[in-house]
Amino acid sequence: MSQDIAGAAVAGQVAMVFDLNKCMGCQTCSIACKVLWTREEGEEHQWWMTVNTQPGQGTPKDWEDMGGGRKDGSPVTGHQPTRAEFGGGWEFNYDEVFYGGKGRSVHLKPTDKGDGTTRWGMNWDEDQGAGEYPNAYYFYLPRLCNHCTHPVCASACPTGAMYKRPQDGAVLRDEDLCQGSRFCMEACPYKKIYFNEARNVAQHCIMCFPRLEEGVAPACARQCPGRLTFVGMLSDPEGPIHKLVNEWEVALPLHPEYGTTPNVFYVPPLAPYRLNEDMSIDYETPRIPPEYLESLFGPKVHSALATMQGELDRVRAGGTSEILDTLIVYNWLDLFGPFTTDPGTLDRTPDKVAVSLTAKRTEPAGG
Amino acid sequence: MQVPEIVDDALDPADKAWAAVPSEKVPLVPVPIEEQPNEYIRTAWRTRPYGQTGEVDVAAVQRGERLLVRLEWDDSDEPNTEFLDGAGVFFPDAGDSGAPLTIGSHSAPVRLWAWRDRTPMQEALPAARELVASGPGAFRPAGLDAGDGENEGARPDAVSALSGGRWAVVIAGDLAPAAAAGRMGVVVWDGSNDERAGIGAVSPNWVPLTVK
Ligand code: SF4
Ligand code: SF4
Repeated sequence: MSQDIAGAAVAGQVAMVFDLNKCMGCQTCSIACKVLWTREEGEEHQWWMTVNTQPGQGTPKDWEDMGGGRKDGSPVTGHQPTRAEFGGGWEFNYDEVFYGGKGRSVHLKPTDKGDGTTRWGMNWDEDQGAGEYPNAYYFYLPRLCNHCTHPVCASACPTGAMYKRPQDGAVLRDEDLCQGSRFCMEACPYKKIYFNEARNVAQHCIMCFPRLEEGVAPACARQCPGRLTFVGMLSDPEGPIHKLVNEWEVALPLHPEYGTTPNVFYVPPLAPYRLNEDMSIDYETPRIPPEYLESLFGPKVHSALATMQGELDRVRAGGTSEILDTLIVYNWLDLFGPFTTDPGTLDRTPDKVAVSLTAKRTEPAGG
Repeated sequence: MQVPEIVDDALDPADKAWAAVPSEKVPLVPVPIEEQPNEYIRTAWRTRPYGQTGEVDVAAVQRGERLLVRLEWDDSDEPNTEFLDGAGVFFPDAGDSGAPLTIGSHSAPVRLWAWRDRTPMQEALPAARELVASGPGAFRPAGLDAGDGENEGARPDAVSALSGGRWAVVIAGDLAPAAAAGRMGVVVWDGSNDERAGIGAVSPNWVPLTVK
């Protein structure tokens, strides 16, 4: 019934690269996703795409201490994040302030129904970061489901509702099969699955599969004003994702030690130089501690940063860099691989919508 | 267990009709850990106690084409905000001789009527569902393969009441397959212990049903 941990055979793997040097934490991606997918009852606290300030506790709060994933060939028992740990999805005292005659004595505030949900939110510790002035540092980390090659979420699902789609490796959930048992939420080490209480099903990022099927990039990527979110097939040798990940090795998975082989990758952040006490520039000590970046992206982060720094130095000296040209993204549509269709050009009248719009599992569960 | 006929509906577990129906104490044991459906669940629950609901009082009546089963058991734990209590009864195909301990198997699935308590946000959800169970937690909505979506006609009903640390639940469904099976298994999930899917307490033996 469970998915073989070796991962299902897929014809291709859809993947993403985020260049963290360009992310400005504007949350346009999060909002694009929220508006498109999670506006119904039971989805109030769901943010399939989140952007958090690093270092930070993230969302759900302290998710990196919640277990899940695999270690030494065995699954790691995980914690199922609670509504309070995700936080958000607040209700406000509108009635009291606007209609209860207390508009002058009571201020508008979220109402915590004793469940702690107003004590955290998806971007609660924004811009706190770490370090001391003038060498404080932080960067933004956009996160969504990694559509892992070894999806432990699917391996933990007792009903076969979660599966890796053969045509593009997107990890989906057949909601007709989901019984709301939430073992997936425990098993996912990235804590990117939410529980919809109203419908008693779990939910997570679907890689905008109905858009992919029409050649349209996922909403988070297409809406990003920072030109930093690449989408494409990982194995496409001409595509920027393959080059950044496999050829140049400057894009790395988050927490590779979690053992799920993510298909979302990050170009790690270089930071401005540190300042000495006399305000002169310290060219030697990196502002973001390399050991911190290693704790996120694994030991390969050092060579990735060295490659990036080398490319920067060469360009500054008057040379050229294919890596930097790729990351600059002179042509916006170069971000989207085979998914460059403008959704505004599609005929959306109901009888013309050809995509499946369903995550129904077609091959038998247990295969 | 005799399944007497009644005239008026008795879906409410407090209905006076139940006072006249003999009940039977059915012992329950944890669904075996080695039968759990995947490595994750076996790892997460191997050292964690579950399925400790020791016994359940079971009574059953028939009314027309319906079988009504009343379950009553102790549950004095503080409720948990993540998982709610649940219970179910299940029926093998006629002639199948496997044990109820695993709640069906791939080669011999059982018909499971599963009730779960609901939160206020879940008011629109049915109180009970009919599932095809082919192992602990390997549950699939009945009728799904027949067409698009769940077969509404197969949906069982349930009414539940918690009082004085005891649950009383009546689950009702189609009599014919239950009568053909001639026996029934029982499962209880203690939500305060995060029990769901194959993590629960099950009757190790079938409860025979004598239907007229
Ligand atoms: S990130 Fe989590 S939910 Fe997404 S595929 Fe990986 S394990 Fe599954
Ligand atoms: S939309 Fe782009 S720049 Fe803005 S937070 Fe998301 S990834 Fe970063």
